[in-house]
Amino acid sequence: MTEQDPKAAAEAPKEAAAPAEKPARHGPPIVIAEEVLNERGEQTAAQLASTLGTLVLDSAGREDNPWVRVDAKELHAAAKKCRDGEIGMDMLNLMLAVDWVDRIQMIYVLYSTTNNRKVILKADLPAESPAIDSLTDLWEAATWYERETHDLFGVDFPGNSDMSPLLLYEGFEGHPGLKSYPLNDYEEW
Amino acid sequence: MTTESQFETVDMMLNMGPQHPATHGVFRMVLKVDGEKVIDVIPHIGYLHRGTERLAEVETYGQVITLFDRVDYIANLNNELAFVRAGEQIMEVEAPERAQYIRVILAELNRVASHLLFIGTYAIDLGAMTPVMYGFRERERIQNLFEHVTGARMMHNYMRIGGVKADVPDDFVPWVRQLIGEVRKGVEECDKLLSTNEVFLGRTRGVGVIDGPTAISCGLTGPSLRGSGVAYDVRKDDPYEIYPYLNYKVPVGENGDCWDRYYLRMLECYESLSMIEQCLDQFPEGPIMAAGRRIARPPAGEVFSHSENPRGDLGVYLVSDGTDKPYRVKIRPPSFCNLVGLATMTRGSYIADAVAILGSLDIVLGEVDR
Amino acid sequence: MAVEGNNDSQSSPRFVPQKWDREKGGHFFHTDEGGDVSLGKGNHPAPNRIPSAVPGVITGKLDDLIAMGRSNSLWTLTFGLACCAIEMISTHMAHHDFDRFGIVTWPSPRQADVMIIAGTVVKKMADPIRLLYEQMPDPKWVIAMGTCATSGGPYYKSYSVVMGVDHIIPVDIYVPGCPPRPEALMDAFMKLQSKIKSDAKNGQIDDLSGEQRIAPVAVADAAPVIDAVPAEVPAEETAG
Repeated sequence: MTEQDPKAAAEAPKEAAAPAEKPARHGPPIVIAEEVLNERGEQTAAQLASTLGTLVLDSAGREDNPWVRVDAKELHAAAKKCRDGEIGMDMLNLMLAVDWVDRIQMIYVLYSTTNNRKVILKADLPAESPAIDSLTDLWEAATWYERETHDLFGVDFPGNSDMSPLLLYEGFEGHPGLKSYPLNDYEEW
Repeated sequence: MTTESQFETVDMMLNMGPQHPATHGVFRMVLKVDGEKVIDVIPHIGYLHRGTERLAEVETYGQVITLFDRVDYIANLNNELAFVRAGEQIMEVEAPERAQYIRVILAELNRVASHLLFIGTYAIDLGAMTPVMYGFRERERIQNLFEHVTGARMMHNYMRIGGVKADVPDDFVPWVRQLIGEVRKGVEECDKLLSTNEVFLGRTRGVGVIDGPTAISCGLTGPSLRGSGVAYDVRKDDPYEIYPYLNYKVPVGENGDCWDRYYLRMLECYESLSMIEQCLDQFPEGPIMAAGRRIARPPAGEVFSHSENPRGDLGVYLVSDGTDKPYRVKIRPPSFCNLVGLATMTRGSYIADAVAILGSLDIVLGEVDR
Repeated sequence: MAVEGNNDSQSSPRFVPQKWDREKGGHFFHTDEGGDVSLGKGNHPAPNRIPSAVPGVITGKLDDLIAMGRSNSLWTLTFGLACCAIEMISTHMAHHDFDRFGIVTWPSPRQADVMIIAGTVVKKMADPIRLLYEQMPDPKWVIAMGTCATSGGPYYKSYSVVMGVDHIIPVDIYVPGCPPRPEALMDAFMKLQSKIKSDAKNGQIDDLSGEQRIAPVAVADAAPVIDAVPAEVPAEETAG
């Protein structure tokens, strides 16, 4: 992408969005970390498993942060159980999206101020038109997180009434959090 | 005859910012007012959205530390510490004891510096010009020490995954001891000047009240949450570094109003200074960098680590794909979450109090927008 | 008595100032030859005779005088964008004390002379910055503080950052550093003061009020309007 060729720059995101074959990777082999929970984490994981029951698709964790993967359609129900159940997750600490190119993963970090424990909920969304139920009725903190995720990743949140751009501005094209969005070369503004 | 009910009245929208001296940066809020009363607040952010999280994906772990310096530009070292701890967790290394002590001393000093800036600017928001001069005088002393140790006044790039860049100079301990004495005097001066001032109390007592459950639901953390009576401090609840070996109290408020949030920060300054003194008493000798590879290339996986920033719970969610660059870095910005509670606090108060409430949250726009 | 030789002004004898002789009386402007010497023609302006005639008096153009006043009371717009704003505040506070340069902050653009762009300029903030610049009265100056305002700095690659504030408004002084130390900002102001004075001396003052100084901005809405102007003018002429 050069300065003299603005058309190529405009077309670049479309090209990058198309599934391209990854070139063979050079460098040292990739090591995958072992996920081991400590004693405290095991306790939380057991509590979480009993709270969610059959909703859990997959679970593991690291240190004292256990995570469970649930179906995207069941996420609202799972979150509600976590909040109202004995585990008492009363704070939505963090919410983020990770772009794995073939899918978008939503990650919710919940925290309990009464029990002082953290759990992580995950849900996989399709890369094409991702959508997941809004958690604004459970935690007010979700409003801005969801708007931000909508800005940067294009995830829709049915149930959140205000989806206007938060960090970006009206008229911004594309979702810059996605891996397919190109980073700048020189541009006149 | 026309009666009052026959008039069509509309609520007035009042714009504040993004260039407003009392918004602590480029924050914009639209107040919906009925006379002097604020009915609703619509905050607009993103005027400093620099794409830090996206940029971090194309930079190596060492380079990301420089970006974290600039996320919360008032408490730079606390932010470095947050990222470095996440990096250490994913690399499965632990910093040597001396490095941890150095980090904690510097982070607590930075917390004091940040709170001093808050006290000064908050007084300005309420119309008092003097405390900011006092606050910055003490802050300047702290910055001089930082310059001596790290080489920079603000953007230090001092901490590393597995330790710190360089050992502290020889005169570090006596310098810090002298500094603590001076700063403590300065904080006391501000305290005397401001905390029980009749006008100051009138502007802050009972203003911007938020109760504990609402604050938790909004995701408030740090002094903003503790002001509402919820004792949540990452240093106590999820201890990291050498905090378990230190003896300190976490002040907690009662009413959840602006004065509580302000005074907690004042008390935290004293606590932080006493923590630094304890660190200096225990200050060990030894290496400052963990043995191992100099290039960070962690195994593929993901970690969530958080630490206590002057503004609250600063979390870092780090996803690695096994290369030397992070796959995804997500910052949990405490200011961003604290701002969610702004509308709840401000509804029903006067226009003049909107500034007092916003100031009491102590936001940093670099962190809100990232 | 005319000077012998040609009357070419280039080679005419230069005025030689002499001490005022009290005994000779009130001839302020006299030469050795006592004749009419053609002065002030040619490439050089007429030399200033008053200082030589009346010792201890300084004279100058009114522009110089105004520039002296302007440069010693620069009011900056209270306007912080990002990290550099903290160092900017530090500069104004007790330790560095910017007031001694006559530099005070003012929260309204209507009375401000200088705008310090202290921090990263992102695309969402570009229009407000331009609006603020246009609200300031002439003459006005802009200081780009730090690498972000100069070129985008560490955020050069970012999708949302303007690569230097000079893409939006004209800049007079660039200050390097991330963030610049307070001393660097002071140095920038001293440079600005000497720039104001030298601009007045060299007759550059008119440029400050011209609209040419404002660089065109590629805002999506504004771009078609700029393009449409030359196309419309001939159309009106033919219609009229």
